[in-house]
Amino acid sequence: MSKSQYVRANYQVNATPQLKMLSDDQCESILNGALEVLERTGAEIHSQEALDVFKKGGCWVDGNMVRFPSHIVEWAIRNAPSRIVISNQKGERTLFLEGQNVYYGPGPTNTYTIDPFTGERRRPRKADTVRAAKVIDALPNISYAMDCGTVMDVTPTLSDVHAFQAMLENTNKPIIHWGFGIDQYQDIIDMAAVVAGGLEALQQNPFILLYSESSPPLRHSVEAIDKAIFAAKNNIPIVYTPCTFAGGVAPATMAATLVIAVADSLVGLVAGQLVRKGSGFVMGGLISTMDMASTILSYGAAELSLLSAGLTAVARYMKIPMFSTGGCTDSKVIDTQMGLEAAFSILIAGLSGANLIHDCSYMEYGATSSLELMTMDDEIIGMVKRILQGVEVDDEHLALDVINKVGPGGHYLAEDHTMKHFWGFWAPTLINRLRYDGWKAEGSKPMAQRVKEKTQDIINNHKPEPKSESVLAEIQAIVDRAEAREANKR
Amino acid sequence: MSNYYEELTQSIISGQLDRVKSLTQQAIGAGNNPIDIINQGLIPGMSVVGARFKVGKMYVPEVLMSARAMDAGMQLVKPLILSEDIPSAGKIVIGTVKGDLHDIGKNLVSMMLESAGYTVINVGVDAGPEKFLQAVKEHQPGVIGMSALLTTTMLSMKDTIELLKEEGLRDKVKVIIGGAPISQDFADEIGADGFAPDAGSAADLCKKLLA
Repeated sequence: MSKSQYVRANYQVNATPQLKMLSDDQCESILNGALEVLERTGAEIHSQEALDVFKKGGCWVDGNMVRFPSHIVEWAIRNAPSRIVISNQKGERTLFLEGQNVYYGPGPTNTYTIDPFTGERRRPRKADTVRAAKVIDALPNISYAMDCGTVMDVTPTLSDVHAFQAMLENTNKPIIHWGFGIDQYQDIIDMAAVVAGGLEALQQNPFILLYSESSPPLRHSVEAIDKAIFAAKNNIPIVYTPCTFAGGVAPATMAATLVIAVADSLVGLVAGQLVRKGSGFVMGGLISTMDMASTILSYGAAELSLLSAGLTAVARYMKIPMFSTGGCTDSKVIDTQMGLEAAFSILIAGLSGANLIHDCSYMEYGATSSLELMTMDDEIIGMVKRILQGVEVDDEHLALDVINKVGPGGHYLAEDHTMKHFWGFWAPTLINRLRYDGWKAEGSKPMAQRVKEKTQDIINNHKPEPKSESVLAEIQAIVDRAEAREANKR
Repeated sequence: MSNYYEELTQSIISGQLDRVKSLTQQAIGAGNNPIDIINQGLIPGMSVVGARFKVGKMYVPEVLMSARAMDAGMQLVKPLILSEDIPSAGKIVIGTVKGDLHDIGKNLVSMMLESAGYTVINVGVDAGPEKFLQAVKEHQPGVIGMSALLTTTMLSMKDTIELLKEEGLRDKVKVIIGGAPISQDFADEIGADGFAPDAGSAADLCKKLLA
């Protein structure tokens, strides 16, 4: 009888190391702050439909200013599901947005992209989202797709619809996608329903999350809030993500920045829950500081990680799935700054237990997307996931018998126990650990070169599992329908 | 007789609002020409601030403190001068374009321009081509500045330029644009006169265009 079996009764296990940035008491203070802001200051709402929803729901509406009684916000928090399961496009339940499960993915809507073949920084094209989807499909640690840049070689108001088509055609992973407005959201849902086998199947087993950004502080455009309402009406989960940056659209203190971010997320939550109690809601989102010299919203700041982990703690306290940020950089090129900023935020976001961690493709403070960064992030995420596996402590893993057998001065290389367990070591695919001569024989390539070659290889050779001709034709028909509609508007 | 100008300039640079107020009051009390107070006391301070900000030696909040101090000084001096005599580097109409509510950057530019001595008419957010046209007709500015954060709303900038052309006003005013998705290429494409990547260079751009 071993000792560890004997003490098992009240044994506490730290299966996954975690970083809880705020205690429950601190989370409660942040949430109370947000509730007070919503009840006292309120939010500016630019949509008549949303104003009607809020008024009918018992909020205090005065012109386009809405104040929210705390009990209504608390009601909404209680009614939102604490877990949302997202499937892949084949209907297999894949992303369990619950507890502290973490899934990483790229980011949307950059206005530039870095071409992984020419190195040129230029406007994104539809072909770039095709490339992005292939890379997303191939990388094992990228769990979902986003468009990796606003495509600009199509009808401008249908950039979202075309990007969605490009993703559907080139990956089967779940998709988080934005839309300019309600018409485009309808197109996107219709296309997704074709893939899922009908709207009802999509609702019961969604592979998409819709995505909406409000304009902090406490201001919600017609597009932003109407999308939250649309998603709830159609029973498709939404990511509602204000872009809150300390010193710019929030006070310069971290706690107040969290208060604004939570308050703005809750406005979207209340709208959705009033429309359909229990509709799926993931709170955002992007939270960092404004760089006071350049005025950029920093994607590499230490505060991005600090605030994101703080916001995640509050989301977890409210039992609402969280959409966080990591793997991004303010650097303009594939360089050391990129690597260290990306690694830092991926690790902290992982340790914080945020369910969806996006922007693993964002360079230049979000202005530019890079598939090479995503490829490198995939490697970093691999390392982080290994750390998140923690240390197993039981008789098998303590291996006291093996230690006794080998004895002082021996080695473990030929032990059955080693053979059984060394597979758990994380093995790199890009990081180079060769001895000097081996590295030289392979061309003395620096990391950036290896990243570029892997990215190019995926784009040239990866073949995503294709969808049927009939599904592709139906998707095309919806794109054509959207084109006709937009042509009529002009 | 002290004219207080050097001290005023220094107080603007360090953003001391109360100090600027009392110095301006003292300068007025000592019988200095109000226009000289502006040109030799207040504006030189903001020129230093603008230059320091541009090279990263001052941060945005410091710049805004200086701008606030400058404005407090101006408010005291202005009533003493006929409005047509108030020194102005030129008139600029500025706004965030139709469909866009993002105005932090636009307001920052607006403050930088005011501090550089321009008279700024801020038409706010969600400003369509007609609103800019109206402001051009009413104020006859040397420059109009349009801001956008979204790739969809930035397209409205072109509509404004087209409308100005239709109304025969395009030659009467310079058009500058800015915002996160905007680039020099886009400015060229839609026929704008200039693009500035940040608030600091927006003032320089206006200076260049109005020279």
